[in-house]
Amino acid sequence: MPEIDLQRFLPLKTQWFHIMLSLAGEGQHGYGIMQEVLERTGGKVRLWPATLYGSIKRLIEAGLIEESDERPAPELDDARRRYHRLTTLGRRVLDAESERLEALVHAIRIKRTTVLE
Amino acid sequence: MNFALRIYRRLAEAFPHEFKLIYGTDVIQLGEDVVEQIAKQHGVAGLFRLIADIAIRVPIEYLSEMRRDMAYAIRALIKSPGFALVGIISLGLGMGVTTSVFSTLYAMLFRDLPGATDPKELVISQNPVSYYYVDQFREQRGLLAGAAAFQNGVPFNVGFEGNVNAKPERVFGHLVSPEYFAVLGIKAQRGRMLSAGVDKPGDAPVVVISDRFWRNRLNSAPDAVGRTLRLNGQTATIVGIAPKDFNGAMPMVPAELFVPTTVPAALAPELAGDVLHKRDAKEFIPLMRMAPGATQESVEAGLDTITRHLDDETVGAAGNAASSNNASKSDKTRRVSLLPGGNVVPVPRALKPVLLGFYAVLIGLILTIACMNLANMLLARGAARRKELAIRLAVGASRFRLVRQMMSEGILIALLGGAAGLAFAYWMSRLQSQMKLPMSVPMQLDYSLDWSAVLFSFALAIVCGVGFSLAPALQATKQDIAPTLKEGAGVQLRSYRLFGVRNLLVLGQIAGSLMLLLITGFLVLGFSRTGSAQTAFDANKMYVLSIDPVRDGYSAEKAQALFEELPERLRRLGAVRYVALAEQPPFSILGGSGSLTTKLDVGAAAVTLKSVARDKVGAGYFAALSEPVLGGREFEERDQRIDARTDGSKGVALPMILNQSAAHGLFGDANPVGRRITEDTQSYEVIGVVRDLKSGFVTGQSAAVMYLPLTRRDFAQPPAGGMTIMVRSDAGTDALGGIRREIASIDPNLAVFNVRTLAEYLDMSKAYMRIATNMYGGIGVFGLVLAAIGLAGVTAYAVARRRKEIGIRMALGSTKGQVLRLVLREGIVLVAVGTVLGLLGAIVMSRGLSALTDIFTQAFQTGASDPRLLIGAPLLLAGLAMLACYIPARRSAKIDPLKALREE
Repeated sequence: MPEIDLQRFLPLKTQWFHIMLSLAGEGQHGYGIMQEVLERTGGKVRLWPATLYGSIKRLIEAGLIEESDERPAPELDDARRRYHRLTTLGRRVLDAESERLEALVHAIRIKRTTVLE
Repeated sequence: MNFALRIYRRLAEAFPHEFKLIYGTDVIQLGEDVVEQIAKQHGVAGLFRLIADIAIRVPIEYLSEMRRDMAYAIRALIKSPGFALVGIISLGLGMGVTTSVFSTLYAMLFRDLPGATDPKELVISQNPVSYYYVDQFREQRGLLAGAAAFQNGVPFNVGFEGNVNAKPERVFGHLVSPEYFAVLGIKAQRGRMLSAGVDKPGDAPVVVISDRFWRNRLNSAPDAVGRTLRLNGQTATIVGIAPKDFNGAMPMVPAELFVPTTVPAALAPELAGDVLHKRDAKEFIPLMRMAPGATQESVEAGLDTITRHLDDETVGAAGNAASSNNASKSDKTRRVSLLPGGNVVPVPRALKPVLLGFYAVLIGLILTIACMNLANMLLARGAARRKELAIRLAVGASRFRLVRQMMSEGILIALLGGAAGLAFAYWMSRLQSQMKLPMSVPMQLDYSLDWSAVLFSFALAIVCGVGFSLAPALQATKQDIAPTLKEGAGVQLRSYRLFGVRNLLVLGQIAGSLMLLLITGFLVLGFSRTGSAQTAFDANKMYVLSIDPVRDGYSAEKAQALFEELPERLRRLGAVRYVALAEQPPFSILGGSGSLTTKLDVGAAAVTLKSVARDKVGAGYFAALSEPVLGGREFEERDQRIDARTDGSKGVALPMILNQSAAHGLFGDANPVGRRITEDTQSYEVIGVVRDLKSGFVTGQSAAVMYLPLTRRDFAQPPAGGMTIMVRSDAGTDALGGIRREIASIDPNLAVFNVRTLAEYLDMSKAYMRIATNMYGGIGVFGLVLAAIGLAGVTAYAVARRRKEIGIRMALGSTKGQVLRLVLREGIVLVAVGTVLGLLGAIVMSRGLSALTDIFTQAFQTGASDPRLLIGAPLLLAGLAMLACYIPARRSAKIDPLKALREE
């Protein structure tokens, strides 16, 4: 039953995947997500502000992420910003997507080695 | 950079309210945080990208909100299917009727003749003239840029080469002077069109075919040009194919063949008797192109002068100039009246606004009722949702958002209603185009939907949907929400206002639907009264069939001999009791109206009766129909032997039979038999009077009919529908075989066509009226139902709003009856006022319409004087309205005072 539920979200949109991946650790605000994605991809993927919040809104509506009340240490906290974190469903969807991508990468590797040999 | 940030902030402000509420500050904050970084990293392109990103997101967010509104609206409508259905059906009917009627009207009145160049410059004359006149018209260079003569609805028996044995097909076409195509500005699709420079009298016969003929009868053969056809037994070469969609200058009667007047009379019997050179043979319609700068008025005036001059010359040539000269000087009416020639249907200019007016009134009523119904329902719904809206406003929903949501419901209904209307209009146009008119010449009207009309109705539907949902939405959200929430279900109790918006709407609805019901009722009753053709015998026992020997290759003499012999031979058949010839089947629509004038008697002024319809019938016609001759006698064989043309001009009066209406109009109560009548230069002697035969149609013409005898000339040149033979026998269907055998024994090659029993023929003519009656009746009844629903809704709403008041009244000892009366009183006042207004409106409107044109006069006169309708319709409406009031009002009596009061 839950499997079918998860499959509904797959494959994840690239932006959704990046956002969710950024939230895999602790809660983040928009600026944090943007910076993390930028760093992780070596500056290749930039989430532009309006698109980022549009995606966040839709992720919330889909139940994949939620607003978080947990705040980081006060000296790091920016009170004006909203923090977001993954929901349980979101975490499972992220896992499923990661597995799917891994399988894909695995397939590519096998193909590459057989072709090379 | 600062500039980019300013734009960014502006755009961020433009996000939809809900989005802004949650993410507005975040978006702006993030933009401010990253703008420097972006500028450093990507330069101007980066800043541009930042702006572009937000500029794209704003409309996307709006679209997603809209989608949600729509989804919400769909759910809301599914939850109240009754509301949705009534709204959709009422709008759909309104839109459908509007689209369908205006499409037809537009096609008739305003669509340009397909294929013609500058159709606005084309005019045709309402009255046919002789070929010679058209030649003279053509010389008026100052008035006309070109003139052609043509005859329409000309039948040809067509045989195809290489297919000698097949029976020829009967195809209708135009007999045209060679200038025809040049005047219209029509270019050939293949081959060449006719032209005055090429086509000369005495040439080998040629013919131009229409695109339809080429496709349907020649299978679009690429080598069609150059082939030959057998036309009325003669060979003619196809020289060209007319462009697609061109079906002649008057496409109402589509022409498939265009035969030049240069062909011999053997090919076109219409040309027999040297009509091209006879000045008094007024058998051609002039088709003219106005000279640059000339107006229809100036051309009409110019041609009128010329026509008077030519008339005088013509009569002078005939030898009795003196008398008619005086006559022509004294009459001041125009002899030439022009119609626009570039439309599909030539409708006089003056009639256009009248036709438009009538339909605008009818459609306006339907649309008003439909829209009022919708408005009322949306208003009631808006009011019923006040509490819900107040709560949502209180928890922070924006007013704009709520208004948008309510509007999306209205738009959804409008769209669905529009779609339903389109389907309805399409169905109606299909129905109409399948309708066959009982005429000997095929008629074709364009009933296909016009896109501008479709667009117009759709736009109107949307405007209604938006407008009538916007108003209650604004009203419902504008209020101070505190009392609504505080008071619970009660809301503020407003005192009863007779002239409140909702009451005015209901009033308008009742008055409008009563008007609609009455006007359509007048028409329906009028139609059914004037339009019921009745025979004094079993119509199944009369066969009506047509033959056209001249077009089967008979010479004039041979055809005349055939028609003298045939009735006698048929009469000798076993069960046959009556045989009669006629120009057209009985109860047909009669054309050729003229005006008759009584001969001056000593001491009595001449009486002129206008628009008298004309019918030509053979000997024994009325006996065959079992119609008693009221005075004098009917036509006999000897009347048929008079030659109208030669004898008439010698001053011999031709025999004529009048129907009662004509006799009364001309002679009052005096006995008309033996009296003399003139029509133009022709004089007649009345030999008999018959009852008015009811035709299957309501026509604008008065019911006056003159009957002339069929003559040898008619036998040599039968009308477009062929010569009609009526055979009445005692035997049922068996008689037909005998009739066919008898005709075949005279000549096996004689084509017999349009074979029907009289009953079938009458059914055809009645079918048209039946459809019209059903349609108008349906519209009227639907308006009634809509009004009832509207009233029921309003009453139910009033009861719901007054729950508390009613509860208190009942707690204080009011009886159920008293409460019921209280609620019903409002409804009764509305119904009464609405009925009176509607009745007055209908009478005023039908008077107005009859004054504008005589088309409706007859129907309105018979209908409007009918007490069944004048009393019955308002009673029916009032009864239904009261019922619609009573059912929800009864609920008021069921209110439990304890419950109603505890709801606080």
